[in-house]
Amino acid sequence: MSKLFPVQEIGSLAKPKWRTKGLRQQLSSQDLSEAEVWAEKLGIQDFHDRAKSILKAVDDKERVKRILELSTLYGLRLFETTGVDNDGVGGEQQRVEMYEHVIKAVQGMNLLGHVHSFDNKYFNKGVAESKISRKHAIYVPEFLDVKKYAQRAVKVPITGPYTLVDWSFSGYYIQKQPASSPKARKIGAKREFLLDIVEQIIRPEIRDLVDAGASWIQIDEPAVTTHPEPQEMELFVEAWNETVKGFSCKFSDHTCYPSEIGYKVLAEYAPKLDKCDQLALEFANRDTSRLGLDDNSREGYSDLKHFVDAGFNGEFGLGVTHVHDFTGSVSSEAGQSVGRDLIESPELVRDRLLYATKIVGDPAKIWANPDCGLRTRTWDVAFAKLANITRGAELARESYQ
Amino acid sequence: MSPEIQLAGIHPRSEKLIELTRSYERAKANWSQVEVQLEQETKEVIKLQESLGFRHFSDGCLGWQDQLRPVTRSLKGVESGTRYSRWFDTNTFYQKPVVVGKVSAGNIDPKNFLRAELLTGTRDRKITLPGPYTFSQLSENKHYENHADLLLDIALAEREIIRKLKNQGVTLFQLSEPCLVYQPYRGKFRDKSEVELALRAIRSLVKDSPGEFVVQTYFGDAAPLLPELLDLPIFGIGIDLFETDISSLSKEERTSKALVLGVVDSRESFVENSGWIAETARKFSEKVDARDLVFAPNSDLKFVPQKIANQKCEALSKASELFEGS
Repeated sequence: MSKLFPVQEIGSLAKPKWRTKGLRQQLSSQDLSEAEVWAEKLGIQDFHDRAKSILKAVDDKERVKRILELSTLYGLRLFETTGVDNDGVGGEQQRVEMYEHVIKAVQGMNLLGHVHSFDNKYFNKGVAESKISRKHAIYVPEFLDVKKYAQRAVKVPITGPYTLVDWSFSGYYIQKQPASSPKARKIGAKREFLLDIVEQIIRPEIRDLVDAGASWIQIDEPAVTTHPEPQEMELFVEAWNETVKGFSCKFSDHTCYPSEIGYKVLAEYAPKLDKCDQLALEFANRDTSRLGLDDNSREGYSDLKHFVDAGFNGEFGLGVTHVHDFTGSVSSEAGQSVGRDLIESPELVRDRLLYATKIVGDPAKIWANPDCGLRTRTWDVAFAKLANITRGAELARESYQ
Repeated sequence: MSPEIQLAGIHPRSEKLIELTRSYERAKANWSQVEVQLEQETKEVIKLQESLGFRHFSDGCLGWQDQLRPVTRSLKGVESGTRYSRWFDTNTFYQKPVVVGKVSAGNIDPKNFLRAELLTGTRDRKITLPGPYTFSQLSENKHYENHADLLLDIALAEREIIRKLKNQGVTLFQLSEPCLVYQPYRGKFRDKSEVELALRAIRSLVKDSPGEFVVQTYFGDAAPLLPELLDLPIFGIGIDLFETDISSLSKEERTSKALVLGVVDSRESFVENSGWIAETARKFSEKVDARDLVFAPNSDLKFVPQKIANQKCEALSKASELFEGS
């Protein structure tokens, strides 16, 4: 793409109430009233016909299919309306969430129950109970709907093998390890589990996606920065390279919320990742919310230097907006604090993009995106944030004209 | 007497409580409904400890949103900040404390730490707090020029928290210090002066403080630090047996302290066999001759679903009996 500072979505959007409820039960026309409001905002011309077909659907499977298709269409149109250049798969409306969606498709794994993530957020954690294999395609049905409706470029975010294993209990793989120290058993189990996930689950899925026309696959690996030990990082690189081997599409990595060490270790290993064209990373969360191009104002982006120093030559997907609760203060020029949300101003987005360009040295290598998926924000907030990212990218572009 | 069993931090919430807190977030439940369930489950965690023969009781910290927050909110000069950081190598997060001024004790409300009213009777009470070194390492310092000053001020402020909690009947304080042994943040092991500084802060915290103290290390190998840890003027030291290289303890250590063995893995769902736990503890005790052994999870059990956590507690209890009989 020749346009400077293109904007991309990075992950999931919140699921509208009608989408969540409609998956469980028959909807009433009142349930769809919110959808009607957004239909107007997003220019969904055939909303009424679609609503009728959802309300009339007697068969549960048929209703669910129509609802998922409609929510995917809404997600795509939300991104398009806000000016996003690459719309992903429309906010991952067809997935429960990034982890569970995959685990449910893995033979040999079982979801054990929820564990705490933060505040009142949890995730359902799986365990390997036997050798794993793929039960059915995971992302392809969603991609086929996306292909039908997308008016702009798309990419398919998938959950990376390292993260899937790191967020799971190894169970079967631990038990089959030879007796040795507890630590050695854990390491051996992780490697065996990981290589099975790559071969049995992820590569077959990528093959199907590529055959269905996917040209860009974003591999989400938030877990990688949590294990900066050399042994773990080598394992991540091995799994990545094995994953992408032989495929000709574009690959990017998305990683966010690293542990205390930040991105320093990932930067060291990034040049070893085969075919990794882009690193999309969270930065806004660690940045100040004031305008400026100086190092202090843009302290959250300092880790970019590590990637440049380590010789990573690819693009950066720059997290320019926060995606979680915000409780700090912000000047009126830099944004607006509304309830638990910060709506970053276009000027703040611009400054973050321009500062990153100073470090990376080439504006053509910088994409703009939220730090991560906007699933914890309302659609109104997501809309406002994305619209300001596209305006901020325009402002940054102007400085190069 | 068979080894005592203890919890080592936050116990997981049940699926029911999880669903309620989620509903609360979506404004589909009110806080009083959550509180009723929290109280019910706290009682259940206490009951579980009773049934398994615990001697020091924890309330399970079910209301804690992360391991640091109650302390963060009790200190002057520290803000909760807006940033979520990953809790070591887990898929859980904590709100990063931001040090914006001189740290001192602020408004300490014991209710934010402990459901004392539910720990009825004459039971000994245990609470888990972040140690001063770990708290300082996991905070963002925007005020102190000298890290040593920050560390010592945190230690002094935590003394005030401990005094208040002592008044609530807490007799055993676990100071969690994973940062003492968790190495991946660093290229090399902490140098001697930093370790000494961390230990000085702990000494300053426990000096003249009421109650008994355990410094619990986890997520890293405690072996290189064990001699220094055993010199601390406290009741006991906790080590993570899933990370500690016992074989590297070159000579037989002897200590008058209690050793809290993190011998079930809070990061793995596989429930350890009680025979294996007892045997692992026995091998350890051949290397280190401790006054008392305590069996515990290596850290907070919140990393596994509640059902698994409870099974791990049961395994510890059985292992304690086996160990005694061996």
